[in-house]
Parts: sequence; C-alpha cells; structure tokens
Amino acid sequence: MQIQDLILKLQRFWADKGCLIGQPYDLEKGAGTMNPLTFFGALGSKPWNVAYVEPSRRPADGRYGENPFRVYKHLQFQVILKPSPAKVQELYIESLEALGIDLSIHDLRFEEDNWESPTLGAWGVGWQVVLDGMEISQFTYFQQVGGLDCRPVSAELTYGIERICMFLGGLDNIFDLPYGTVKTDAGEHTITYGQMRQREEFELSAYSFEHADLDLHRTLFEAYEKEGKKLLALGHFRGAYEQALKMSHTFNVLDARGAVSTTERPGIIKRVRDLACGCAKAYVEHEEKASTDSTDFTDSKAKQGGGAK
Amino acid sequence: MSETRTFLLELHCEEVPARFLKPLSEEFAAAIVAAFGVEPEGAYSPRKLSWSCPMPEMQADQTDTQIGPPQRMCVEDGKPTIQGLKFAEKWGVPFSEVRFEQSAGKKEPCAVVTVTKQGRPTKELLAEALPGLIAGLHVPKAMRWGSSDFEFVRPIRSILCLFGEEVVDFTVDGVKSGNTTWGHRLFHRQHSEPIVVKQPEDYEAALAKAGIVVSFVERKASLAKQLDQLASEVKGRVVADEHLLDTLAEIVEVPKIIRGDFPADFLELPAEVLITSLKEHQKAFCIEGPDGKLLPHFLTAANRADDPKGFVKSGNEWVLKARLYDARFFFAEDRKHKLETRLDALKQLTFQRELGSYFDKTERVMALTVRIADLGGLDLSHAQEAARLAKCDLRTLMVGEFPELQGVMGGEYLKHEGAPEPVWKAVKEHYQPAGADDALPETDLGAILSIADKLDTVAGCFSVGLIPSGSKDPLALRRAGQGIVRILWERGWGKHLEASLGIAVDGIGTRAAKPKDETLNALTSFFQDRIAYQLEQAGYAGSVRRAALACGWSDLRDLKARCEALSGFAEDLRFASLAASAKRIGNILKDESPSDAFDQSALQDPSEKTLAAHLAKLEATSDHKTLLAELAELAAPLAAFFDAVMVKADDPKLRAARLSLLHRLRQAFLRVADFSLWQ
Repeated sequence: MQIQDLILKLQRFWADKGCLIGQPYDLEKGAGTMNPLTFFGALGSKPWNVAYVEPSRRPADGRYGENPFRVYKHLQFQVILKPSPAKVQELYIESLEALGIDLSIHDLRFEEDNWESPTLGAWGVGWQVVLDGMEISQFTYFQQVGGLDCRPVSAELTYGIERICMFLGGLDNIFDLPYGTVKTDAGEHTITYGQMRQREEFELSAYSFEHADLDLHRTLFEAYEKEGKKLLALGHFRGAYEQALKMSHTFNVLDARGAVSTTERPGIIKRVRDLACGCAKAYVEHEEKASTDSTDFTDSKAKQGGGAK
Repeated sequence: MSETRTFLLELHCEEVPARFLKPLSEEFAAAIVAAFGVEPEGAYSPRKLSWSCPMPEMQADQTDTQIGPPQRMCVEDGKPTIQGLKFAEKWGVPFSEVRFEQSAGKKEPCAVVTVTKQGRPTKELLAEALPGLIAGLHVPKAMRWGSSDFEFVRPIRSILCLFGEEVVDFTVDGVKSGNTTWGHRLFHRQHSEPIVVKQPEDYEAALAKAGIVVSFVERKASLAKQLDQLASEVKGRVVADEHLLDTLAEIVEVPKIIRGDFPADFLELPAEVLITSLKEHQKAFCIEGPDGKLLPHFLTAANRADDPKGFVKSGNEWVLKARLYDARFFFAEDRKHKLETRLDALKQLTFQRELGSYFDKTERVMALTVRIADLGGLDLSHAQEAARLAKCDLRTLMVGEFPELQGVMGGEYLKHEGAPEPVWKAVKEHYQPAGADDALPETDLGAILSIADKLDTVAGCFSVGLIPSGSKDPLALRRAGQGIVRILWERGWGKHLEASLGIAVDGIGTRAAKPKDETLNALTSFFQDRIAYQLEQAGYAGSVRRAALACGWSDLRDLKARCEALSGFAEDLRFASLAASAKRIGNILKDESPSDAFDQSALQDPSEKTLAAHLAKLEATSDHKTLLAELAELAAPLAAFFDAVMVKADDPKLRAARLSLLHRLRQAFLRVADFSLWQ
C-alpha cells in the first residue's frame, strides 16, 4: 500500500466515525501528542474527537538515511477520542480492517505499554498493539496531561504509518516504500519515500549530530523559556505552549549530541514541563470561564451523540 | 447442612497487563475466603479473571449473646423495670426470655439474651458483597476510563456472575452482571452475540468453544509441550527460560507456538546477544543444537490457534530480522573502536551522586581488585587490566540497547580485540551472581573482580549513609552483599572479606560522609546477616548456625568447618546438657574477671579435678570434630560439677581457681561454638 493511501483511508475511516480531521501543527515536535489538538483537546470536560497526521522528529534517531528501519523524522497518525468510547478497541480493530488488514489470517495482541511524557507532564496507561509480532500502534488512556487529571479520559491511538506500510508490503527498507503516484501527460510513475525524504534524512541527521551550534541552542532554550513565561503571564496559553514546544525540540537537539549530562537532564525537562503545565492550567481556567458564560453546552453534547460509539 | 451450588464470577476486561494477572487472581481469592470462608479456584487469561467454587445455598445461622444492664436495674420488687423491658424490646424477645448472669468482666449479674440471626441466602450476600470486593482490589497501576471516576487495572467490559443457574445481580461502574461473556476476538468475527453460560460447570467448555483456554496452567503446559516438539523437529532443544514461558502463557488466550527462521549469518553474533534480542524484542526462544550452538530458528507464541496463510510466521520473521539487523549494526559499530577508548566517557556517567562517576568507581575498583588478588596470589597485571576495562561497555551501543548485557559485551569485545583470556573472562562474568539463582563467576579473577566491584558499591553506599533498612533497599545492596558472601563461601576464600572491608572503606576516601568506624561497624553487622543467610541456605540447623556464627566469621572457611563439625552432633542429647551448662557458665562469669592462669592444687572436689583433666585435653586439640567429641564427653562431668560444688565459694583462692577453670573451659568451647545459643 502507498503511504498516501494509508493516510487517506485512515482519515476517511475516522471522519466517518465522527472525528474532526485535523492538520499537523506547524512546529517541530517529537510526537503527535504534542499537537495542541491533543494537548489542549484532552483537557477539560468537553467531548472531543480528532484525527490527524503528525510528522514527528527525533534527532537522536537520525541515521543519515542509511538505516533501513530508523529515521530522524517519521509520520504518526493520531486519533483522540474523548471520552473514550466503550467499544474503543473494536473501533480500532475496525480501522485496521479498513486498511485491508484481514484479521482472520493475522495475529493481533494488546501488550502492556504505558506511556509517559515528562516534558508535557502527561502519562497514561495502555498497550502497544502487536500484529504478527510487530508493534503497529500505541494505544493509551490518558490519565494526566499538563499535570492535570483527565476527566473524562481520552483514548489516544497512534499508528506508525511507515511501519505499517512496510509491514503490509513486506519491504525491508523504509526508503523503498511507495509514497504515491504522479500522473502527467507523459505517463505516470511512483514516487518512493526515499525520493521524497532520503536527502532530508541525511541533512537533518548531519545537522543534529554535527553542525547544530550547541551554544546557540542553549541560548535559544533560555530565550524560548523567557518568551513562554512572558506570554503565560499575559494569559496567552496557546502562544506560551508554542514556546514550550520549541524548548522541547531544542532540548532534543542538544540531547542527541550528548550535550546534556545525566545530572542536568531532569532539571531541563522540568523547565519545559513547568511551562507546559502552566499552559494546561491556564487553558482549563479559560475554558471553565467560557462554559459558565455560554448556556447550551449540554445541548451541543447531545447533538454530537452517535459519533465514535 | 444446606445444599450447595457453584459460584462463578468472571470479569471480562480489556487486556490486563500480564504481570498483574496472577496477583489480582490471588488477591481476590483471598478476599472471597475472608468474606465467605471458602477458597475459590482462580483462572485467568489476558481479558479474563475468573473464580469459581461451591458455596452453601444459605449461610449458617448465627447465634449472638447480648449483654444488657445490671439485674438490679432491670428488676425491681420482682417486676421488670422500664429499662428491663426496653432491653428485651431492643432484641425482639419477651421479657421472660431475659436471663441474668454474671459474665466475665462484669461485677454483678446482668441481663442477657440469646439472639439467633437467621442465615441469609448466599446469593443475596454475594450480590451485596461483590461490588465492594471488586472495587477494593489493590491495583498497582490503576486507571480511569470514559467519563467515570471508577478505577481498575483496565476497563471492565462485561461481568458474568452465576450461583448455580441463577445470575447474581449487581453492577460495577455501570456494568451489570449477567450470564454472558465474550470469546476470542476471532470467534466474534463470525458471532456478533455474546456467549451464554447456563451454569458454572459449562464455563470452561463454553470458552474453549469460543477459542479461549482460560486456565493459565493449561496454557503454559501446552506451550511447553509445543516448544519441545517444535525444537526437536529441527534437531534442537529450547534454550530454557521459565520467566519467558510464564510471560507467553500470560499474553495469549489460546496457546500456540510458531517456529520461524532467521538468516544463518546472524549466528555470528554472540549467543547472549541473540538470546537477549529475541527475548526482549520478540518474546521468542532460541533453539540450540546438540553441540550447544544456536540454530537459525526461533519459537514464539501467537494468540490464535493456527496460522492459515503463514503470515504470523513471516511477520515475526520480518520483525526479528529488523531487530537482528540493529543488533548486528551495534556489534559492528561498537568494535570500530577498542573498548578502552570508552574509559574517558565513563566520567560523564554518574554511578551515584555522592560517589561520583563510573570513572571514579573504576579507579577504586582497580585498587581494590589488586589488593584482593594479592591475597590470593593472582597475576596482578591482569587484575588491574580487567578492573580498568570492566565498566567500559556501559558506553557501547549494544549495552545501551540491552542493559542486561553489561559485562557480557565487554567480555565479548575484549575477546575480539585479543585481550588475555583471564581478562576478558573476568570482565564478562563480573556482574555474576546477579541474583540468588544466578551462576557464580567461574574464573578466579572473575570472582575477585565481582567481589571488588560489589564491595565498592556496598562500602561506598554505607559511607554516604545509604544503608538498607527494613524493606527498603533501592540499590539492592543486600543482593550485592549476598553475592560476595556466596562467592567467598563456595570458593573457600576464608579471610578475604574481613581483610577487604577496611580497604574498601578507605578507598571511598574523602567522598565518605560518615566516620570510618561507624561505617565499618554497620558493614560488619550487615555482612554478619548475609553470612547468617548463607548458613541457612547451606542447610545448617538453627542451633548450629547460631552457635557457630556467634564465635565470629573472620575466617569463613573455618566457620564452614565448624558448622560441618557441629552438624554431626545436632541430634546428640549430650549437647542439650552442655548448652544448659554453657548458659550457666555465662551467667556466673558475667560480672567476673577471672585470670587465665589458676592454681590447680587449689581445687578440692573430685568433680572439678575431673574437669581440669578434661580441660587439658581440650586445649591440646586443634581439630573441630575431635574437640566436639571431647566436649560431648564433657557434658556429664560438667553437670556433675554444678551438682557438687558452689562455684563462688567463700575461700577466695578456691573461688578464683573455679572461676578460672570455667573461664578456660569456655574459651575452649568458643573456638567452635557458643553453646549458650544451642537450641
């Protein structure tokens, strides 16, 4: 299956189940969870279903485009269902079938895997979903986000897009994956993931392992924190949250270079978390105020019924 | 005796983490015992926890005695008072049934009634009790889901609860109990309705029909059998791993082993790497051939009864290849630079905040290893080299990926570099024993390096006040200490421990937060406990252990010899008498300071003269066994002595001689054992 087919099918499936189809957030981040659609969406009491693709960067995983399995940047498909529906596992399984995975001939298991993001002050419990021995998804019931209890609890489903595609195609190299087909007057040809991304992998790996200016990144980290605190003081939690995301990525760049000592590490993570938690708190306060002002919240909840059940 | 019916409860959940299944099953069974007095049999699979047992139809009647006000307040002039009548009314009996008795603890006769509470139907009680018992289960990592505040290990999706053929009605977090449950997911691709269980006796068969073997024991046995068979089909045997087998039986609902293959060129990797990689990443077993070498096959479990198109096999093979590709990449990358080039990078790796980096630790362990090796007359240059390189593999990619391969990889890399055999072997095995069941280092140098490394950890932590107490031992110092004692004990290295403690503490130097004496005292008592445990593990009787250990452990080999000798007399009744006399001697000498020398001629009684003769023989004997035989002979004369004489005689000369005699006898005992602690 082509990567774009997989994405389109997942989007269609979850839209039909009553999810908004969101877009990637235009800042560097390590995982789809960091997108505000999830971070803020999982907070507060309002029902919220959303699905979107998120390109996720992990500088330490960069392999210069030479490792057939590991890359600096990969694609996650992220689904948030709040509150988690009673048949959430069945829904997930249905989505696999929508991708053409015939479970009557495959082995599917849910194995314990609890998720935690110290930089976001978030954690949850759940599973890695294992298909014929391969982890294809992460399934999490959020318990806390931004240091606040999630009530109601969201279910988060994360699909590893490249992995699932490789697995379905039986391919041994991520860069051989077909991304999609380009049709022109002269004919059509398939573009591979390698054509799309291999050079990018090389350059970004080289950047994070060799060329990134560490002093600059340390300075940036401080500057983003200062900026974030300033915005939070104004009550601008969305702007402040962007600064927290930038801090997180800057930290990852430094970490990939081994520039963060073990003793230094918890302190740095805490600074990002403090800002993220501040944003979460400000968001919830803002929402509570807004919902006491508006009158027909229960009404909108009733209308939403039927989705993702 | 009323009729019995079978009780059955099943909680059908989303996949419960494997590690919690058994504890939850056992805890709930215990809760049922506490509430109903019968122990249910538990069964579990990833999505199911169930319990079943016969229970009486009705709970037994309960008779209670109720005590009321004193008689004088209940009866006046032969007539009941208002208070008396109220008491009878309270318990629903006519006043004529009120008796007056003086119960224990009361100063005067009081009103007493016997009230019979009729036993209630068990089904009713179950319905009342179960929601609380379920909610009350202790869940180590509890979660919430949906919009509810209810917490459990994973979401409960349905509840089956029967008492005989009847449903026990209750609700937990909005889930109502019933007589239905769900089978394997594959089964429900064809069947949209839940399966009905008419009576508890049908439960296992109904689930089996729906694709689930609910008994853990049954699944495990089946997996074990399949493993053996599939391994023998390729002329090999499974590399056993009981823990992995348990895990597999806990993560599948139906037991099925799949055998897959991997490219033979991965066999170039060290066996430990393959075994660890297969186990950690793929929950798979390795297969070894008759020559003990690994074969290019693996075995793992699937959560379905078959593999109709071979996808389960090929899928697992695909993932495994990716994993081994990674392992081979690490193995090749790591060997691009000699192991010792990582030494400097150990400076950035904290061992413990107060005790510095692994580089600091390496320097201490080097010094300590050389000192201990010197005691055993080993090659000191090898000792120093092994200690210097021991921790370098912590900075390799492979150990970064598989922390449990620490030591093993260092050894492997050194072997590839052509390091001397004693050096690479010592590095490879210096983490052994990692636990009570783990093997000990095989080589002398490996044993010494292991002792030095662990002793530095223990002495270091004690020096900065990190001393295990009660159940708190986050740094696993007791395990490290036990490992040291086991190695010394098995190797018969008697005097190494006492000699090394001071050296190890000195090695901590200025990093120590506590005075040396205090640390040494704490270490001495810590190791005494470890040695006591070692004696217990070696199977010596309690009296032998106590009596022998009380005379010190500065020489472990001698301690072992004394325990062996004492064990030969464990059943000897004369030793009981000897023990009584030894206690008496201890009491007599408590506040005395007798001199070693005494005037034999001052002794008068024949019984004490006999003792003096025995003493001479005892003091001339060096062998423990002979000494004990002579001590056994001494039991009767000693008892006779205590019968015949007053030790603390008025004559100061006689008294001094008797005290000295006893003192010298005791000194002779104490060479083997403190008999006052016998029995």
